[in-house]
This record gives sequence, C-alpha cells and structure tokens, in this order.
Amino acid sequence: MTRSWVEPIGANINRVEALAKVTGRAVYTADVPAQGAAHAVQVPSQISAGRVRRIDTREAERATGVLAVLTHQNVPRWRGQPAIPYYAESRLPLSDDRIHFGNQCLALVIADTLHQAEYAASLVLVDYQLGQPVPNLDAARADAYPPTGPYPDRFPTEHRRGDAVAALRSAPVRVDREYRTATISHAPMEPSSTLASWDGDQLTLHDSSQGVFAHREAVATAFGLPVESVRLISSLIGGGFGNKSYTWGHTLLAALAARVVRRPVRLTLNRKEVFTGTGHMPAMIQRVRLGARRDGTLTAITHDTVNATSPTDDRNEPAIQSTPALYAVPNLAARAQVAKVNIGTSGAMRTPGDTPGQFAVECAMDELAYELGMDPLELRRKNYAERHPQSGKPFSGKRLLRCYEVGAAEFGWSWGEAEPGTLRDGNDLVGYGMASGIRAEHSAPAAARVEISSDGTAEVRTGTQEIGGGTLTTMVQVAASGLGVSPDRVSIKAGDTDLPQGAPTFGSMTSGSTGSAVHLGARRVRVAAIRLAIRDTQSPLHGAEEDAVDVRDGRLLLRADPSRGETYVDLLDRHGIGALRRVGEYQPEEESAVERATFGAHFVEVRIDRQLSRVRVARHVGVFDCGRVLNEKTATNQARGGMIFAMGGALMEQLVPDPVSGRLITPALTDYHVPVHADIGDVRALFVGEHEPEAHPVGAKGLGEICSIGIAPAIANAVFHATGKRVRELPITPEKLL
Amino acid sequence: MRTFQLDRPGDLAEAVRILAEDEGARVIAGGTDLVTLMRDGIQQPSRVLDLRDLGLTEIEWQPDGGVRIGALCPNAVDDRRLAAEYPLVVAALRAGASPQIRNMATFGGNILQQTRCAYYRLPEFACNRRDPGTGCAALRGDSAKQAIFGVSDTCNAVHPSDLAVALSALEAEVLVHGPAGARRIPIREFHPLPGDTPHRVSALRDGELVTGIELPAAGRGRVSNYVKFRDRASFAFALASAAVVIERAGTVVLGARIALGGVAPKPWRAEHAERALVGNRLDEDSIAAASAAAVRGATPRKDNEYKVELVRRVVRRALSELE
Repeated sequence: MTRSWVEPIGANINRVEALAKVTGRAVYTADVPAQGAAHAVQVPSQISAGRVRRIDTREAERATGVLAVLTHQNVPRWRGQPAIPYYAESRLPLSDDRIHFGNQCLALVIADTLHQAEYAASLVLVDYQLGQPVPNLDAARADAYPPTGPYPDRFPTEHRRGDAVAALRSAPVRVDREYRTATISHAPMEPSSTLASWDGDQLTLHDSSQGVFAHREAVATAFGLPVESVRLISSLIGGGFGNKSYTWGHTLLAALAARVVRRPVRLTLNRKEVFTGTGHMPAMIQRVRLGARRDGTLTAITHDTVNATSPTDDRNEPAIQSTPALYAVPNLAARAQVAKVNIGTSGAMRTPGDTPGQFAVECAMDELAYELGMDPLELRRKNYAERHPQSGKPFSGKRLLRCYEVGAAEFGWSWGEAEPGTLRDGNDLVGYGMASGIRAEHSAPAAARVEISSDGTAEVRTGTQEIGGGTLTTMVQVAASGLGVSPDRVSIKAGDTDLPQGAPTFGSMTSGSTGSAVHLGARRVRVAAIRLAIRDTQSPLHGAEEDAVDVRDGRLLLRADPSRGETYVDLLDRHGIGALRRVGEYQPEEESAVERATFGAHFVEVRIDRQLSRVRVARHVGVFDCGRVLNEKTATNQARGGMIFAMGGALMEQLVPDPVSGRLITPALTDYHVPVHADIGDVRALFVGEHEPEAHPVGAKGLGEICSIGIAPAIANAVFHATGKRVRELPITPEKLL
Repeated sequence: MRTFQLDRPGDLAEAVRILAEDEGARVIAGGTDLVTLMRDGIQQPSRVLDLRDLGLTEIEWQPDGGVRIGALCPNAVDDRRLAAEYPLVVAALRAGASPQIRNMATFGGNILQQTRCAYYRLPEFACNRRDPGTGCAALRGDSAKQAIFGVSDTCNAVHPSDLAVALSALEAEVLVHGPAGARRIPIREFHPLPGDTPHRVSALRDGELVTGIELPAAGRGRVSNYVKFRDRASFAFALASAAVVIERAGTVVLGARIALGGVAPKPWRAEHAERALVGNRLDEDSIAAASAAAVRGATPRKDNEYKVELVRRVVRRALSELE
C-alpha cells in the first residue's frame, strides 16, 4: 500500500464531527442524557428597575411535580464571589431583592418535568416596588464616568502618546465625528444549557461552556469547593461568539438546584433568556478626531468612547484597545467611559472592543480620505506602522500590506473613478468601500496529551471546546503533523476538565495556544519514538542520527534513504509498548520582545435600490493574516461566517430597548434580525499568513475574531460611496437612507 | 404553557357549538401563530379546537369564474389556475413566509393571525389588545414598527398578513359559519380598526369560524402586483407593502384598487390613490399622483415617520412594475 504523504497541517480535510452533525447524532449539552433529572425554570422579572416587595410561591409549590421553589428569601447562601470576568457579574443570582434589568431571574422553580416547572413558574406572584429605570444610553449619557473595578483593571480606560490636543490644533486637515452602535447580541443557535449532578461534595456539570477550566473555577468559588471537586464538561457547542465565554447565573442556579433537590437538574435557557441574560455588545457612542497633513500623514488621533453598562458592574467595552496599534501616528489620546443603564451586564462578543472601535476609527479614516481627495487605501498605506506604534517593538509577523495588495487585486479596487452617489447600475446605486482591521493576539497556558498506540492509532486529549470553528479537526491535524501520521488515524477527546488543561475557546487562543500544546506534545512523542528506534539494534534505523529521521504516514524513515525505516506499529510492538504518550505544555512568555497581532483588509461592493433603500453587500473580499492556516476549509468557513456575522451587526441587528423602561422589545429571533441566506452575496475569504513560529510554536495565530473586524466600516464606507450620505450609526437600516 | 383540552370536532356544527358555548375555546388550524402565542403565555385558551377533520381544504372554481378557497387550504398552495388568474395571491403568500411555515399555515389562519407588535407579544408590557383596559405601552414606546393609519389612542399595532393585503385589493369575501348559519363578510369589514376595542381583531361573532375565502372573477384587462419591503431579504414582516390591482380598457384605467400592508391595523385601502388613477392613463404622472395620495390621512409619530415616504415608494414601485 503506497499513498503519497500529505502534510496534515493546511490540508482541506472535513470536520471530524461533520457526519455526526449532519446526521443529527451530534450531542450538544441539552442532548446529554440524564436518568431522573429534574428540570429548572427561571421566573423572570417583569420590570427593569426596583425591588421585590413580596414574592408568593405558595401556589407554585403546590403545583404537580414541583420539588422546590428558590427565591432570594430561601436560597442557600453562596460561599464565595467568583472573580470577574469568568463569572460575568459581581452580583450572584437571587442574592437580594434588587431588580436591575428586565427578565432578571427572581426565582427558580424545580419540578419533575419541564412542563410542570414552566407551569409552576407562571404561578409565582411577585409584588414589585417600581424603581426609576434608565432605559438607554441616550438617557444615561449625561452621567457617564470613568469605570472602576475588575473590568477596567483588565481593559485600560486610557491610552496616550505625544500631545494629541496640540497636534490636532495645528493639523491642516481635521476630522471630528461621532459614531454610534446599537446593542447587539451573539444570537447563537444553541441556547445555553446546564445539567448538574452531585455525588456528595463532587459536582459534575455539563455546561455550554467556551472555557471549561475557567468556568470550573468560577463555579467552585461560588460553592466554596476546591476546583478538583468540580468537573465541567462541554459537549459540542452550537455557536457561542462569546456568550458562553463567561459563566452566567443559570449555571450556578442549576448546580444549586441539584444540591437542594438531591437530584440531577437540567436548566436550558429559553430564547428570551439568551438575549437578556448571557451578555451582549453594549450600545456605544464614540467620538473620533483625526489630524493630518495635506499629504495624508496622520499627526493625531483621539478616540473617546462611552458605553452602556449594567447597574451591577462597570464593564467598559474595550473599543479603544487597538487604536494605539492601528497607525504610525505620533500623538494619540484615547479614553473610555461608561454610563449606567437598566440592562443586563454586557459580555465579550465577537469581536470585543475591536468591532465597534475600529468601526469608528476606520470610518473616520474614510472621511479623512475624502477630505483629502485621496484613495482610502493609499491613506492607510501612507500611515502603515511597521513596528507597534505604542511599544516600538517589532511584530512577530505583519502582512497587512500583503492583505491590501491581495484584496485590492481580487476585488479590482480602483478609487476616484466615480464621485459618491453617482455610480449606478439600472435601479441600483453602487458603491465601493474598504477598511482594515487589527486584533492583538492573546495567549494562555495550555497542555495536551498526545499518544500513539501499537495499533497505529493516535489520540489527543486536551480540554479545549468545539464551538463550531473546527477546533477538533485542526487539533487532530496538528497532532497528525507532529506525529507524522495521517489525520484519519487520530482521534481527540476534548471539552472536559478531567483532561489536560486546554486554553479557553475565546479570545482567538485555540490555534496559537492549545495548538502549540498539541504540537509540542506530538513532537515529544515523535522524538521519543525516534530515540527508541535509533538505540534499538533490531531497528532498521539503529545508529542513525536523531535529526536524520523523519516520520511520514506512521512510518519512521531515514530522510536520506526513505527505504530504511519502520512503522510506529512495528516499533511499539517489538518493545511491548501499548501506547507511547507525552504531554505538551505551552507556556506563553511573560515578557516578549515582539508584539503579536492578526490583521485583515476588507473590500466591499454595496448595491442599494434607489427607492427601496435596503443595503445589499453584493461582493465582499476579506484578506487575513492569521499566521499559518491549519485547515483552509474550516478557516474559510469560519472567516466567511465571521464576515457575515459582522454584516448583520452593520446592517440589521439591534436589541431595541423600550424607551420608557429599557426592557428589550426584540428578544426573539423573529424580531432580532440576522442575515438570511438571501441577504448574502459573494463573500470571499483569502489568507496571506505564513508559518509564524515567532508568534507561537505551532506557527498559527487566531482567526475567530479578526474575521469580524473591519467589515462594518468597509460597508458604511461603501454606503457613502454609493449614496453620498454618511451613516454614522449602526445598523444601517433602510430608513436611514430614505 | 397552561394545560388545555384538545377537541377535534367531526363536523362544522359541532365546532360551532363548542365555540359558542365555551368562551375559552380557540380554533387551531396550522398552529404557526397560536402555538407561539400559547408558549409565550400571550394566549391561554382552556380549550383548543383542531379543525383538521372538517375538510375545508378545497379550491373550488365557481361558474362565474370566481374561486372559493377553503379556510384550511395550506398557504403552500400549488394550483396552476390560481397562480394564472390570481398571481397577486400567490405572490403575497410567497412573500409572507418560508416554505416550512406555508406548509402548515392556512388561508383562514393567515387572515386571523395576531399582530407582531412587540408590546403585544411580550407579556411584561401593558397592552389593551391582549388585556383590555390595561393601557398601551407602545403608544409611549418605540413606534418604529407601528401603524401610521387607523390608529387609536388605545392601540397602534399593525396587521402583519401579506395575504390579507392581496385579498383586500381583490375585494375578497370571507365565508363564515356560526350559530345563526353561514354569512359572508367583505374583506374590508373583516378586520375592524382598534377604536376603543382593540382586542376585537376580526368581525367574527361569538361562535363563528372562517370556512373559506371567495375571490370574485378576474375582470378583463386586469393586472396586479405585490411589493413588500422589509429590512432583510426574507423571513421578515413588511415595513410597508402594497398590493395593486388595475383594470384597463386600452390604456385607460377603469378600476384601481390599492391596499397597503405593514402600516395599519388592517389591510389599508388607499382610496385617494385609487381615485388618482381611475380615468387616467397609467403613466409617470398618474403614478406620482397616486403614490402621493396614498399617504393622505397618515398620522405618523417620530419613530415611524419614515413609513410615510416608504408607502409612497412601494406604491410607486408596485404601479411602475405593471406591464
């Protein structure tokens, strides 16, 4: 049997769980079977601000099948306050009588069946003491302030270099604009679900979690347990986009309920609870000022933001975080404020900070380009930053110029041929726009155990999570590459705190961090096998230099003479080794001599019916530098998904607050519109990244977040080119263009 | 969801009897609306009548050339003659829902569907339509999706049906059956304006149910068009829609009927616009006059002011596209 050896990394292989998904056999958390599990249902607040004056649970308790009703009055005390952000809020569920937002959980009903629990929940009577709600950011803006607490400790609220105010004053060309973005939601298909069961003081949680280790710690803290007492398992996830990055109240409540009723308890959120209680990207108002010389050289940027935050926590949406890194501009001042609104706490949503922040800055850049009469692409090239403009350090890799070049060629970018509002095709206005994107590359410690068995199969074990991006597949490919075996010989176990600790599946850390752990583990196994062979007098490789041996398709061989070699199977068999296994550990460096980031460039053609002004993205080219692409098929899929995700935010998505109470009026998929297939034009994703071991040992960087940055401004800039009208508020819905 | 009794009456008389004697009884046809309302606790019938054993799914052509469509005929109707003679109906149905929904949804259920007003569909808000006399949170709330015609100081919700807009332009009649026997209700009288009784969503009397819809014969020289505008390409209710039916002799418009959707508590006949066309040729001037006249009487608020311009434009588009 001879087949040509294909390097597993980069190969376009199908997802390892593809068949299970398309045949409906894939198990998501709500599908995990549980003998005798009871069901928990939350009783939602009907008001958005105030207190519970009285809560009457008697009728609910008497209803058929009801096991318990928990309220702030009878709930067992939490034993600790988990750290923000992996528990998202500083207030734990049911901890007092205060109501901070609409649909907040006021009680938990646990019953034998889901229907019994739902019915009993409708029987809980709440007597409210109405407070005075702050309904939206406009109402709160006058009281904006610099945030304090754990969120701003993680995400700085100020960046400075040079003297931006003075530089602006003396700049010959200036742009000074305000941009707004709506409250938007992750809106994943899968509602979060938890199944909790206790065995003495041991808690097992099945939870829709993007980070089982981080969440285990949060849960353990709330129950006053050592982390080893909590096992957290995450099955396949039906989309998260960040709403499963933090732990929310329902996870703790499910565990608490299981303890109270001494039975496993399942709690699956309904759609409305997903919208109101698992985070969102908050509404923002941003002011951007640019100063430039007539030749387009930027002299100053200021970026001031205010975002809505919940009554319980000051969470600043980190929209200013990448502004210092974007362009080689000597003077910069950026500042973030928050304003209290009666809404749930916001969370990380693809892409935290950078989607809204770079919407504002990249639109302002376009406005500056038109002010200067300069190609927006040229303006960006002119201000290209070779090194990180704030730290002065070189990047581990930056192929943004290549992104521009490849994207412009693919799209056929040419500027200046048509004035804004003049390009037509039949009844359509046509416009072109572009923008670029940057995302700081994060890292987390990660470990993975890799083994090769004497039957020739291999296995990877790491507590990563499959959220739909293709993680299981790419990790298999990395292991296969390191071992020198075909990916179809490799299986993976993931999503469980009983496995070696993987990086969380958020912050674009999987490819770089977990991928490096798998890479290192697989390399260690390979090296161990090679050493075993070259020291073994019975091996055809006996006496060879370690470096002279390669492994392909499960066979160790001499590079110079591939006919000399033997398979893992023969080697292990002869030595009576059932499986050769090693753990790979990736530890990010504390201090780095380089800056790590991913980059993107977007080119967009919009078409807008002249009378019925819905914006359609007819063509979209996105080009990304995310280091080495682990699997072009899953990467393309993820990148296109990310671009379409961002188009939704640009054109239609908004969680609309009632202007009186602040309670959301679109917490349902019928009203919270995301793009449907018919909305999606020709969306292309291209990659220019290369093997970048300076970023991470595996040579890959993250993709899941960079692919959603820069889309909204490219679309808004194209809308201006098509119509001559600047829309500085997302989403760009039809009435803004009438 | 509250528990309820499910009945499956074997004939019309039994269905009518149950409806008349039990105030808490509701009819279920395809269930695409009622089930979601029950799940969200917006409607809590104690008894549900499943009409599947009543037939009422036929399309019957009448000797005068008109057609009678059974109340339980699915919205995914695939009838060549219907498509040829009443393309407006088919266009409105297709614009109205996904194939999955149209397979389940029925003609009778479609015209009886409840408003999509968020304030009605979310029980935490006050709603006179859902709970008479409790007030209307929408009147002080976000009115971007609310009506600009026919509103009252108790309700400004919009009727969501596309089919009903087409039926309105075709001057259909709704066939109903009740304790006093059968009767016909012209479509324009079928959906009452909210006035001070917004909870009354149809002209059906106690114990009555819809058995069919009758369309008058298509006149000679008739052309029609349906234009629906929404904020995404599909899977959305209309921000504004227009159904137009024009009858011409030569180039002169003899009859014109224009109905608007997404802008009123019922399919809204734009009679001023119709009058601007009759007796004239269908050209740029008359179309401009008709689209301007279409918004006469509109009472928009700040958030839905855009719908006024949108109505002008959908009417202009619908008329301009006519052959």
